[in-house]
Amino acid sequence: MSVSTPFSTRSTGGVQPRLTWPLIVLSLVGLILLPSIWPSSYVVNVLILAFIFAILATGLNLIFGYTGLLSFGQVGFFGLGAYLYALLTMDGGVSPWLSILLAGIGSGFVALLLGYPALRVSRASFVIVTLSFTLLTALLARNWVEITRGPMGIPKLSAPSIDLPGLGTFSGHDPHVFYYIALAIAAASIGAIYLLVNSPIGRVLRAINLDEPLAASQGISPKKYQIAAFAVAGVLSGIAGSLHVSHLGIVDPSIFDPYYSEMLLIIVIVGGPGSFWMVVVSSLVFMAIPELLRMAPELRMVLFGMVLVLAAMLFPTGVGGYFEQRKLAMWRRSLRS
Amino acid sequence: MEFFIQLVINGLMLGMVYALIAIGLSLIFGVLEIVNFAHGHFYMLGATVLAALVTSAGIGFFPGLVIATVAVGVVGYLVYVVLLRHFREGEFDRGIILTIGIGMVLQNGVAYLFGSSSRMVDTSLSFVSWDVAGFFVDAQRAVAVLVGAVAIAALYAVLTFTRIGKAMRAFAQNREAAFIVGIRPAVIAGIAVAIGIALAGLAGAALAPVFAVHPAMGAPILFKVFAIIIIGGLGSLPGALVASLLIGVTESVVGGYSSVALQDAVAFMLMIVVLLAFPAGLFGKGIRV
Repeated sequence: MSVSTPFSTRSTGGVQPRLTWPLIVLSLVGLILLPSIWPSSYVVNVLILAFIFAILATGLNLIFGYTGLLSFGQVGFFGLGAYLYALLTMDGGVSPWLSILLAGIGSGFVALLLGYPALRVSRASFVIVTLSFTLLTALLARNWVEITRGPMGIPKLSAPSIDLPGLGTFSGHDPHVFYYIALAIAAASIGAIYLLVNSPIGRVLRAINLDEPLAASQGISPKKYQIAAFAVAGVLSGIAGSLHVSHLGIVDPSIFDPYYSEMLLIIVIVGGPGSFWMVVVSSLVFMAIPELLRMAPELRMVLFGMVLVLAAMLFPTGVGGYFEQRKLAMWRRSLRS
Repeated sequence: MEFFIQLVINGLMLGMVYALIAIGLSLIFGVLEIVNFAHGHFYMLGATVLAALVTSAGIGFFPGLVIATVAVGVVGYLVYVVLLRHFREGEFDRGIILTIGIGMVLQNGVAYLFGSSSRMVDTSLSFVSWDVAGFFVDAQRAVAVLVGAVAIAALYAVLTFTRIGKAMRAFAQNREAAFIVGIRPAVIAGIAVAIGIALAGLAGAALAPVFAVHPAMGAPILFKVFAIIIIGGLGSLPGALVASLLIGVTESVVGGYSSVALQDAVAFMLMIVVLLAFPAGLFGKGIRV
């Protein structure tokens, strides 16, 4: 499902509004100021979850939206990162900040190893192998009791804290402090992916997605790029997972709940695979919706299922794709006149 | 040795159930090139319909089995007419996203309407076991296996001897050529989807008295069947059957001699091995999507 436009984005007669950077800075400032304007810890907690989902969704967007590979392994790496964080901080005595980083790197490394057999045959087998990976990690979390403590999970996890010289230490166990930790990590990792997809590497990924044989004929080795993108997406998922459990304070096998994979898919599909910022916005929206729409959870998931069906039938490129098409239509009109 | 043979018998029974689901999934994949992520939820729907018929409406097990299978097949056909029909070739990801959405609606819809607790179905065959040459055979399971074997044999006969079955195989083998000789894709695909989904419903209904019926029962078995069709070769019906029996027996033996956790992991580990050694699966023709 390619949504990226086959046209280059160089000079287009001045119709394209260069609003992206001002909007990013404005939203960041808004998010930094928000807790002081609206100091409810309820709102803060919803936003923390939204930041975590934004990291996760950006990872899926990289591998699915840009590289064109539908991965169901992201929740597996999310859980893997979560357990790595718990084991590193509790059993390994590693500091929380370093553990988040190592959880990301560890998940990325496993993605690197998984990518080869997963990409060996076809896109269908990639889907099924990555899905099986998630199921296997969940099975391991439940049954390898000596390491993971099984269904009981590992409680009393430490959270990262911020040391400000002269002002003292702020513990991440306070949601208002954790908000800034999550915001900083989300901004840094999402920003890094934004630079990546807009770099020559990002263009290579889009090229492979649009036409793999053509890309290969240009001397690009598709498999290497695909595996690398899968590894980077794995790093993001691992970071998101470690961040999530350091906030929850406990990791148990419910980290592999279908809720995560279903929400993740809806966020990316509705936001628009391949539309970078719409997917980030979509994470915020879909984390806020359940709080606004209070109804039986089953009914809500029926509704979300219908949204997925409708999106697949009518708008396979999501909201972002819709705007992209509008923009292209505008360019065409301006070129004609 | 006797323990081992008992395990193999149990494994063949389990494998037969996998086969019913795997063959339906493979049939749909062969004709539409869609991996049906809602397939397990149709299995759940079959079990739920049978449970409702037997426990609430007081209908017997065998009439219930027929009604449940037909009902699920009709739902499957409607899904094809309303949704799947509009898909063109090569829209692989869209098909997955769509069927995941359908699965979410089915699972959560059933949970909302019937509650998410497990229900047991008692029939006249419950708690009966037959003694076949000294081995325990649970009657309810044996009936499920027989029903499955009959269904698979019937499908084989349809695919081999009837015009519609031949058209289905032709369509799966070469879409354009089938088109040229006048096979109508919409008719063939519609029937294939209805049969495939009805088979899943049949498996669910036949097994409802064996396992507890609950709305989330579809996903775990579907994921295992995914591994099975990768092992057997995507789109290959004989591959699906052989791999199902193989995995059923392996799981049963592994479960008997080691842990239940390992039993659940066997299919996935075998899948990775098969992908590395025979990327197209044991019976695959090496189709690339």
